[in-house]
Amino acid sequence: MHVKGRRSKRKAGSVIYRTILVLIYTFILLPEIIVVIAAFNAGEYLTFPPQGFSIRWFVAFAHSEPFINAMLMSLRLAIFTLCITLTLGTMAAFFVVRYGGRLRGLIRVLMTAPLLFPAVITAAALLIYYYQVTGWRNRTFIGLLMGHVLITSPYVFLTISSTLYNFDVSLEEAARTLGASSLRTFAKITMPLIKSGLIAGGMFAFIVSWGQFPISLLLAGIGLTTLPIQLFDYVRWSFDPTAAAAAAISILLALIAVIVVQKLAGLESLRW
Amino acid sequence: MRPRKVVPYLIILPSIILIVSFFIAPYTNMLITSFRPPGRGVVEGLTIANYVKGLTDRYYTGVLLFTLSLGAITTLSTLLLGYPLAYHLAQRETKFKAAFFIMVLSPLLTDVVIRCYGWMLLLGDRGLINNALTDMGLVKKSLPLMYNVGGVYVGLVHVYLPFMVLSLIGSIQSIDPSLREAARSLGASNVRVFFRITLPLSLPGIASGCVLVFLLSVSSYVIPILLGGNKVMITPVLVIQTVLEALNWPFGAALAFILFSCAVIIVSLLFLILDKLTKGVSARERS
Repeated sequence: MHVKGRRSKRKAGSVIYRTILVLIYTFILLPEIIVVIAAFNAGEYLTFPPQGFSIRWFVAFAHSEPFINAMLMSLRLAIFTLCITLTLGTMAAFFVVRYGGRLRGLIRVLMTAPLLFPAVITAAALLIYYYQVTGWRNRTFIGLLMGHVLITSPYVFLTISSTLYNFDVSLEEAARTLGASSLRTFAKITMPLIKSGLIAGGMFAFIVSWGQFPISLLLAGIGLTTLPIQLFDYVRWSFDPTAAAAAAISILLALIAVIVVQKLAGLESLRW
Repeated sequence: MRPRKVVPYLIILPSIILIVSFFIAPYTNMLITSFRPPGRGVVEGLTIANYVKGLTDRYYTGVLLFTLSLGAITTLSTLLLGYPLAYHLAQRETKFKAAFFIMVLSPLLTDVVIRCYGWMLLLGDRGLINNALTDMGLVKKSLPLMYNVGGVYVGLVHVYLPFMVLSLIGSIQSIDPSLREAARSLGASNVRVFFRITLPLSLPGIASGCVLVFLLSVSSYVIPILLGGNKVMITPVLVIQTVLEALNWPFGAALAFILFSCAVIIVSLLFLILDKLTKGVSARERS
């Protein structure tokens, strides 16, 4: 009897645990699901049940010049950021993992520092610095781009150094003893082996730049509005679901990126 | 120096230049600016007037205290919600583990503005919840679900929950499952196993998760603006207003450093306490 009682108690406990889990997962996903539903909803306002399926908000989005311009701006910025950050981050990760020596700890801290300082304050610091020191007074593209490079570099650095730590150096040594030049070894052995890390790092750089808010808010001048800034301005004053259509496209992009990272590197590699 | 020795320093050089000229220099510049006389633009001279005002003026200290307590409540809530989630993800035998991982992480990688917008569509005066309640005739006037502290709180917990989960998973995973099995086979209940083994051994993860979420939530900007309207004022919003709208850079810089120092002090205290607790646990284990 005693054992039976305990078993049913355990069962009840596991039912409660599962219910709690379902509720928390729902809480996490709810806002994004709602945005997607609103984007495909025919009505102006979201009601329960929805008022029917329609792509009119996507059409409205495609015809909205501010939104399209903002999206192109975000795309341009994210691609530039990706190229610069990936190059710098890979080089830094190589240095820290392979040559670091006594400087290893210091450079690790320096490279991850932009992640530890609040982005809002970093953005304010950059704004004041651009005005006072570098003289980029009318908020130039280069200023915005450097802000994005700074904020994304820790992600790339961490992803690629974790790939390099798991790398078997003897493969490179074998290629070198067989007479391959160091450039050839890098292209034929090293690159293919760290490819998944490079792709994951690049994805992070792209996504973090794509969704970056405080840096863009403070450093983007006229004509440099990114998608998050445009969305922010829009949803502050109106509930028009055109914003939902833009947001749904953005969610889709992020989801594709997450799945690609999961397939190539495994999301478990993302640790801090 | 032989060229072979120079190459490694050449590959680290661009990153060093980036960090020095776009991170260290701006922060140093802001620190100096915070000691300049308050007002538009920057004039010569050094003063501590900005810090005195930020630390003694009732309004600014009130906002600061509110910011820090909201951060603390958010941190505690994400811990309570995040722990079951991390525990679930840490199980080795879970089916569809990748899918669950994506579910937790995908919000992390979508823009904060979009996540707030989702909550606005739910909580607004003409949002889903109010529409449904009015249609069913349960309420006559729409409920004030956002543009208040409650709305900001929901947004903060939602946005920072994934950071907590990610910090917890590692430390829960590293607990040797045989410890739990041993306790169970000796007759300990699930609840007892959790409080005597799992929870104490995951303290390092709890510490790093709390530090991360606290630092992030006391420096949030988008969430209080979108979900709080203009009714909820926290220090990061004040900093941006002072820098961007009032153009009072010295005072804005001082406010930013005051907030950051307070956050760092609180986080260090938390670390000290949790470190003591962790040592207590390992001492008990040995005995």
